[in-house]
Amino acid sequence: MANLLIFIADFVTAMLIRATGQKLLLSRRQSLEYLNLPKLVKNSANINAGDLASLIYLWNPLTIVTCLGLCSSPIDNLMVVLTIYAACSRLAPLAAFGYVLATHLSLYPAILILPVILLLGYGPDAPPAKLFLHKSSNSDGKDPSNNDESRSAVTTHKPVRCFSRRPVVHFMIWVSIWSCYVLFLCSIYLKGLGGLQEMFKKTYGFILTVGDLSPNIGVLWYFFAEVFEFFRNFFLIVFHVNILFMILPLAIRLKHRPCFLAFVYTAISAMLKSYPSVGDSALYLGLLGLFANELADMQFSFFLFFGYIGVSLLSPVMHNLWIWRGTGNANFYFATGLVYSCLQTVLIVESVSTMLKHDRMLRKHVIA
Amino acid sequence: MAGERGEEGGEEGDPNLKKRAHAARSRLIVRLGAFLVSHSALVSVVCCVAGFITLFLLPVLAKHTYISENALMPGSANPLFSSQDVNEANRFIKGIIHKRIEKEEAGIELQKFIGQSIADVGAEVHYHKFSPHTNHFNPLHFFSSTSNTARIDTNNSCASFGVNTVGIIRAPRGDGKEAIVLVSPYNSQNMEYNEALSLGLAFSVFSLLSKVTWLAKDIVWLAADSRFGEYNSVSSWLNDYHNPIFSRDSGNLDSISNDCHHWNEIRIQGANSNFFKRAGTMAAALVFKVMEKKEKGDRDCLTMYAEASNGQMPNLDLLNIVHYLAVHRQGLRVKIETMGSLLNSAWVKFTGEILEGVSRLSKSLNPQWKFDVTTADYVEGAATLASSMYYQALGVPTGSHGAFRDYQIDAVTLEFLPRFYLRNENAQSTFLLRSGRLIEGVVRSVNNLLEKFHQSFFLYFLTAPNKFVSVGVYMIAFALLVAPLPIVAAALFARAKANEITTDDCAEKCTPIDTKESEIATGSWKWLQAAKVLLMIHSWAVIVSLLPYYISHMINLNSTMSMLTWVSLSISTLPFLYALFGSPFSLNVEWELLKAVMVATISIGLGLMSIINFSTAQIGAMLLVPMSLLVHPLKAKMNVNALLRAALLTCNIAFAFLGFPPVALLVAKGLSEGFGKLSIGDFWEWMEFLWEWNSATYLYLLWVQLPCWLLCIHILLHPCSRGDSRHKQ
Repeated sequence: MANLLIFIADFVTAMLIRATGQKLLLSRRQSLEYLNLPKLVKNSANINAGDLASLIYLWNPLTIVTCLGLCSSPIDNLMVVLTIYAACSRLAPLAAFGYVLATHLSLYPAILILPVILLLGYGPDAPPAKLFLHKSSNSDGKDPSNNDESRSAVTTHKPVRCFSRRPVVHFMIWVSIWSCYVLFLCSIYLKGLGGLQEMFKKTYGFILTVGDLSPNIGVLWYFFAEVFEFFRNFFLIVFHVNILFMILPLAIRLKHRPCFLAFVYTAISAMLKSYPSVGDSALYLGLLGLFANELADMQFSFFLFFGYIGVSLLSPVMHNLWIWRGTGNANFYFATGLVYSCLQTVLIVESVSTMLKHDRMLRKHVIA
Repeated sequence: MAGERGEEGGEEGDPNLKKRAHAARSRLIVRLGAFLVSHSALVSVVCCVAGFITLFLLPVLAKHTYISENALMPGSANPLFSSQDVNEANRFIKGIIHKRIEKEEAGIELQKFIGQSIADVGAEVHYHKFSPHTNHFNPLHFFSSTSNTARIDTNNSCASFGVNTVGIIRAPRGDGKEAIVLVSPYNSQNMEYNEALSLGLAFSVFSLLSKVTWLAKDIVWLAADSRFGEYNSVSSWLNDYHNPIFSRDSGNLDSISNDCHHWNEIRIQGANSNFFKRAGTMAAALVFKVMEKKEKGDRDCLTMYAEASNGQMPNLDLLNIVHYLAVHRQGLRVKIETMGSLLNSAWVKFTGEILEGVSRLSKSLNPQWKFDVTTADYVEGAATLASSMYYQALGVPTGSHGAFRDYQIDAVTLEFLPRFYLRNENAQSTFLLRSGRLIEGVVRSVNNLLEKFHQSFFLYFLTAPNKFVSVGVYMIAFALLVAPLPIVAAALFARAKANEITTDDCAEKCTPIDTKESEIATGSWKWLQAAKVLLMIHSWAVIVSLLPYYISHMINLNSTMSMLTWVSLSISTLPFLYALFGSPFSLNVEWELLKAVMVATISIGLGLMSIINFSTAQIGAMLLVPMSLLVHPLKAKMNVNALLRAALLTCNIAFAFLGFPPVALLVAKGLSEGFGKLSIGDFWEWMEFLWEWNSATYLYLLWVQLPCWLLCIHILLHPCSRGDSRHKQ
C-alpha cells in the first residue's frame, strides 16, 4: 500500500515536472521570438526539456532507491513540484496548497515563497527585463522595417513582464487559509497528544535543533557530534542562517528566472538541511533537467557526473566499513559526505554561472 | 613511449587550455589543475613509474612491530602452566587415543569424553550440533554482515551432522560480558595423533584457567568437530552464538535430532548440556593446531595465519603479543607464509642486490642515514609481502579464524610444528610446556584489555613476523598508480572538446553562425553518448557475473564445459545489448571521449575496491592502469616515429591480451606451475572457489576488470573515421 502510494507520488511528480517543462519551453520560445533570435528558438526545439527532466527524475537511481526504500521524501518532492507547477500556471490556490503542505512536511520549502511570488507576479522564466527594454527602444529607433511587427509584439508582451499583484494577493490569502486549515486538522488529530505546541516541538524543533546525530549523507551530524556543547546554539544559528543569507542575493540576481531560482533554493536546502536524504538530490537533479537548453554549455558536467556516481557508490561502502566491519571509523564515512557537499556546491555554482553566462550571450545577440 | 605520445597530445590540447587558464586567471586551483592536465602524459608516466618503484620498495619501508596497547602488558606475569598441567594433557591425550582405539566407529564418543573432562574441571559444558551447509552463489554477501549460513535441512540423516563441544569458564572477576575463545579443531571421524595433541594442549590450558583467580573475561573452549571442514564448524557455531533463534522448541537442533540416538544419549547424560550457552562478546579468539613435522629443525616452530575474508586482518596487536611471547619468552621460531617461488626468483634477487648497492652508496655518502638493506632480507621480505598480499587479494580466509572476523572479532590461527617427532614422550612434554605457556600468556594479555582491540592497525601487510607495512605507507604505491587516471580523463576530455572547437572554427569560416548554435544544444554534454556505451557494457558485465548462478545449477557439466557455456552465453548477450542500445561504433563516439569515460570509471572502480579489499585493488591497478593509459586505436594516426609507434602497438596488444581476466589467471598459473597442466576449466574452478567464499574479488573481476577490458578492445578497434574527417576539414 505504502509502496504504491510512493510510486504514484513519484510518477505524478514526474508528470508535473514535464508539464512545468512545457510551460517553460513555451515562455522561452515566446520571449526569444520577441527578441528576434529565431535560430535559438529553432535550436531549443531539439531538446524537450520537460520530457528530459521527467525522465531524469524517474530514471535517476537516487529516485529509485528512495522509492524502494519506502522513504517519505517522494511525497515532499511531490508537494514542492506541485507548488512550482501551479505557480507556473498561475493557479494561486493550488500553489498555496502545495506550498503549505511542503512546508508542513519538511519546513525547508518555506524559502520557496520568493520564487513562487516572482512566478505568480512575472510569469515563468524569461531573459532579463533589460533586454526587452533594449529591444523595444532599439526597434523603435533604428530598425524601421521591423517596427510595426515588434511594436505589436511589445504591446502583447509588455503586460506579461509587469508585476501583477492580483495572483500574489490571492496566493497570500490562500496560504493563510490552507495553513489555518492544516493546523486546525492537526490540532484536532493531536488533541490527546499534546496539541500543536508539542507538534511544533517534535517536528520543526527536531529539524532546527539537530537533535538526532545518527549518521546521514549530510555534514551536520558529524559537526554537531564534535562541537562543544556551549557552542552548539551559536553554530545552530550559523548553519540555519547560512541558508537564509543566500536567499536574497540570489533572488535579486535571478529574479527574471523564478523557476531556476526555485531549483537553486531546493539544491541549497538539500545541501545544508539538517537531515538530508538522497530523495532531496533526486528532486533537484530532476529540476536541473528543466534547464537543459540554457545549461548546455555547463562546465565540469563530466566531472560532476562521475563525482556523483563515485560518491553514491563509495558512501555505502564506507558506511559498511565503519558500522559493520569495524575496520574504518566515522571519518571514513564523513569524508564521502564532505565530498558530496563539495559536488553539490560545484553543481550549484556552475549552474548559476552558466545561467548568467547564457543571459549575457542573449544580450550580446540582442545588441549585435 | 607513452610520454612521447602524450606530449604530442598535450601540445594539441594546449591552446585550448591556455584559453581556459586565461579565463580563470583568478583561481589558482584551476590554473594548477590546468597545468597538470596539459602535462598529463608526463604526469602519468612519472606517477606510474613511481608507483611501481614504491611497490618494490615496500619490503624496505617496513617497520618493526611494537605493542601499541599498554593494557596488554605481555609477559609481565610468570606463567603458571607447569609440568603438572603437562601431565594432565598427557592423561587427556591417552584417554582420547584409548577412546579412539576402543571404538572404531566413534560416533560421538569423543565429544562425550571431552564434555566429561570439561565437566570434571568444574566448567560448564554444552554440545553444539550443526550440519554442513553448501556454499551458495551469493556474491554480495561480503557487504551484509548478517550471515545466512544457518540453513539446516530437516531431512538430514543422523550421520551427517557434526557436534562441537563447548566448555565455558565463568570468570571469577568478571561480569560475564566479555569472553576469550580458544578453538582446537579435530576430525571426529578420523582423528590423527597431532589432533589429539592439540586437544590435549587446549584441555590442559583450559583446566589451568579454570583454577586461576585473575580471570576477568570468560573463557570459551570450542573443540570444533572439523569433519566438514574447520571453517564450517566454527562459522556455524559463531552464527548460532550471534543469532539466537527463538522458536517453539527452543532451538532448531532438537527438532531434527529426535530420531538420532547419539544425540539423545548426550542429552540424558548432562543436564542442560544441549542448551546453547553463551558468554558475552568475544574480545579475541585463538585457533591452534599442532602439525606433524616431516623433517627435523633446531627449534619448535609457530606459524601464524591471520588473513580473513576479503583481506581483513585482525588487529596487529594480537599478532604482536603472540610474536613477542613466542620469541622472547618461549623461544619458538615464528613464521608466516611466504611465496616460495619468489624466494628463488632471479628478478627479486637482482632488485635486492641493486637496493643493497644503493644502501652501501648512501652509507658511504653519509653514515648517519639509516638505509640498511641486504639482499637476503629483501628477498625474504618480498616473498612474505607477496604472499600476504596474495592471500588478502584472494579474499578467502586462510583458516577458521576467518569466521571470527565476520563478527568483528580479532582472531588468529597458530600452527605449532614441534621440533621432534610427536611420539617422542620427552620432546612432547617440553613442547606442551612451551606452547601451553604461550597460550596462557596470550590469554592473560587479552584478559588485561579494557576495551576491544583498537589501538593498533587493522590495515597492514606483514613482511616478516615482526615487520609490517601500515596502510599509510602502502597506500602511497596505490595512490601513485591511480592518481594519473583522473588527470588523464580530464586531459582526454579537454582534447575532445578542443577538437570540437577547432572544427567549429573551420565550420564558422565556411558557413555562418548556424553550426555554432547547433553545438550549443549538445555542447559540453557530448560525452553522454560515451557514458551510454559505458552503461551498456557495465550492464553486460552484470549479466555475465550473474550467469554462473544458472550454469552452476545445470547438472553434468565439468568445469571446462561450464566455462565454455559461460563464455559462449556471455558473447551472445553482447550483440543483443548492441541491438538494444546501439553499438559503440554506430553511435559515432569519439575514441577520446570513450577513453576518458573508461579511465574515469576505472578510477572509481579501483577506488571502491581499495576500500573493500585493498590488495585486490593494488594487484588489479598494476594491470589495469597501464592498459587503460596506453590504449590507443590501431587505426588512429600518430605523429611519432615508427619505432615508438610499433612499441606502442605491441604494448597495446600485449595488455589487451593480458587484461582479459581468464588469460591473466592462466598466464599467472602457467608461470608458477608450468604451462603443461593448464586447461580452460581452471578459470571456472577458480571463480567457483571465489564465489563460494563470498569473495569481493569475484565482483571486482567481473564488474571492473572485465568491462574495462572490453572497452579497451573497443577503443583499439575504433574505426576513427569521424576523427579523420574532422582532421581533413
